[in-house]
Amino acid sequence: MLGKLDWSAIPFDQPIPLIAGGVVLVGILAVLAWVVVKGHLPYLWHEWITSVDHKRIGVMYILLASVMLLRGGSDAIMMRIQQAVAYQSQGYLPPEHYNQIFSAHGTIMIFFVAMPFVIGLMNLIVPLQLGVRDVAFPTLNSVGFWLTATGALLVNLSLVIGEFARTGWLAFPPLSELSYSPGVGVDYYAWSLQISGVGTLVAGINLVTTVLKLRTKGMNYLRMPMFCWTTLASNLLIVAAFPILTATLAMLLLDRYLGFHFFTNEAGGNVMMFMNLIWAWGHPEVYILVLPAFGIFSEVVSTFSGKALFGYRSMVLATMAICVISFMVWLHHFFTMGAGPDVNAIFGIASMIIAIPTGVKIYNWLFTMYGGRIRFETPMLWSIGFMVTFIIGGLTGVLVAVPPADFILHNSMFLVAHFHNVIIGGVLFGAFAGFEYWFPKAFGFRLNDRWGKLAFWFTFLGFYVTFIPLYVAGMLGMTRRMQHYDVAAWRPWMLVAAVGMAVLTIGVICQIVQIVVSIRNREALRDRTGDPWDGRSLEWATSSPPPVFNFAFNPDVRGEDAYWDMKAHAKQQSLDHDTPEYQDIEMPRNSPTGFVCAFFATVMGFALIWHIWWMVILGGIGAFATFVVFAWRDHDEYVIPADEVAAIDRVNLEERRNLVSMAGTV
Amino acid sequence: MSDQAHMRAEHDLAPGEEEQHSVGTRILGYVVGLVLALLLTATSFFIAGTDLVWQPSIPVALIVLAIAQMGVHLVFFLHITTGPDNTNNVLALAFGLLVVFLVVGGTVWIMAHLNANMPAMDQIMPMRR
Repeated sequence: MLGKLDWSAIPFDQPIPLIAGGVVLVGILAVLAWVVVKGHLPYLWHEWITSVDHKRIGVMYILLASVMLLRGGSDAIMMRIQQAVAYQSQGYLPPEHYNQIFSAHGTIMIFFVAMPFVIGLMNLIVPLQLGVRDVAFPTLNSVGFWLTATGALLVNLSLVIGEFARTGWLAFPPLSELSYSPGVGVDYYAWSLQISGVGTLVAGINLVTTVLKLRTKGMNYLRMPMFCWTTLASNLLIVAAFPILTATLAMLLLDRYLGFHFFTNEAGGNVMMFMNLIWAWGHPEVYILVLPAFGIFSEVVSTFSGKALFGYRSMVLATMAICVISFMVWLHHFFTMGAGPDVNAIFGIASMIIAIPTGVKIYNWLFTMYGGRIRFETPMLWSIGFMVTFIIGGLTGVLVAVPPADFILHNSMFLVAHFHNVIIGGVLFGAFAGFEYWFPKAFGFRLNDRWGKLAFWFTFLGFYVTFIPLYVAGMLGMTRRMQHYDVAAWRPWMLVAAVGMAVLTIGVICQIVQIVVSIRNREALRDRTGDPWDGRSLEWATSSPPPVFNFAFNPDVRGEDAYWDMKAHAKQQSLDHDTPEYQDIEMPRNSPTGFVCAFFATVMGFALIWHIWWMVILGGIGAFATFVVFAWRDHDEYVIPADEVAAIDRVNLEERRNLVSMAGTV
Repeated sequence: MSDQAHMRAEHDLAPGEEEQHSVGTRILGYVVGLVLALLLTATSFFIAGTDLVWQPSIPVALIVLAIAQMGVHLVFFLHITTGPDNTNNVLALAFGLLVVFLVVGGTVWIMAHLNANMPAMDQIMPMRR
């Protein structure tokens, strides 16, 4: 009846996950109770859960990423403490638990923090920058978000029901095969990634279509803001690469569920094929994450330097070059598997070549800053911090791209330090820069800048104190994923890294305080004009937060930096005061399709993990029926009358005119 | 959002959005496509079993026929044309082909090297005896 599920699935003998799970459960129940008692449930349902508004979905993506960042961060703290204390002792985490923690940390940080964070920012901003009213497929967008949330839910469920994979974040066979991982851990891993992978794929298709097909009048490709270009490149990579991940995990699942032999040791299976395929997805994935971050830095650096981006066309070219070359380097993740000198040399050279377009970007940012009037606001601090940090990470990356060096450094702590250096220094700093930069656009008030700067400095310093010692430990021969060790020379570096982790934690606390303080002082921090940073692209041309239809009129774009151009134009003409003629606007209706579909996907995923076959069928039928109902809908749009559009738009127009006329007098 | 639909440049259409021909012309297009596809399929089956052609050329012939089949599908069913209204579709196709070529070709090359350098246990054992 319940497949493999029984009471032994709940780890009563392990206090840490049980207490953590219990606290989270109580927290969720308390929030739910508060929502229901206060009567917020209808609001939440109509305005958020069923919303197909790209801005709302973007915010929900970022919220999901932030919550999961806390989960993944807790795992990181536990690992650093374990390695600090587990010198010639077992530490406080038993091996099977420690293995689950590092697997969950990697899985969560990549799939449920970095991915939703960048996809959320792209969702929130790209339609605004393109001057359009929504993404190409609004309901599909909602489906994508909720399927990602399903994956996150399943991963966290494994904390209290059953176990998570003990295989590392990519579940390499033969360890992840049934003979070595008979439990449900790998199944939790694979099914949650399969389900959230579908969500990521539809988000990718949606954003590619949006950039290619929905642009406002005059917004041709070479006038798009850089963030739109990096969004295009990143989502092209999603569309091209994620099917590889799905296929690879599907083969692993066939091995585990139906006795196939794709990656087993016996019966003709080939373990090396798994490494090859998973990294053919895994390396483009790195660029899927970091390209949007590059776009964010381009926007931030140019805004806060008060200059157009230096070398716009070379930046476009570099972005698209990275997009293509990222498919030519995947073997550098397994130089040591024995491909021989020809193959290793070619892929090593390709890996060094990809550093060239990245270097072009760094110089472009530097030259954008050169001669500019730089304002050191929080987003700019994150950007400068990124440039310094990312260059170090990039250089160690070029070092491990040299096959002979990689033979020494492979799977050492040096590697761990390298990829944290590029992912934290690149993606996470970029996400935080984007968060600080676009928060006023999403919510209508700025974030407190003192706490923001504190958060930056603690995170920046904490990062170095944590990860530079890991480089050293790697040079001293320490391998990754060690539950305990007996080498005295490594110990001091592990202690320093633990101190660094504490500093990083203070940085995270500063971020939380910053949000709380800013919400309390929101009236003082209110952004009335919709253009708090003196921005250059179209998202600043509408109010903060933007009305549901984004723009009362589709903006007419005449060059790069569309909004900067409009502001300059308005100043010269001393503001045109003629009242525009408003028209009715059609917007897509809200739809619970995404939420209902994800509900059934959760049921199906859980049932598949525990082999509860009747429930699998039930969930499958439910998810399919949801799609059929949506496909047979009668009307999917509603009309906002011209009067209402006018009423909403006039308020913002007035503020904006005041701003421009004041700027004119200064 | 009718104005937005209007704004889309004529050079930027999705498959099926191209100017509407009469029903008769369109049916004719599909019928031609179907006939060509069936012809290529039949030829493939015939070639695979025949001894009328030089035997080593059969795999090459099958590959050529398969690629021709893909071309027929792209042109007659997916409406990929060389016209300026199809730039996005052609570029998407080119990017897709490039990625498939890189991943499949790269995989074959890498796996050949790996299998040569790191043979499975049951293949090593007989060699040592």
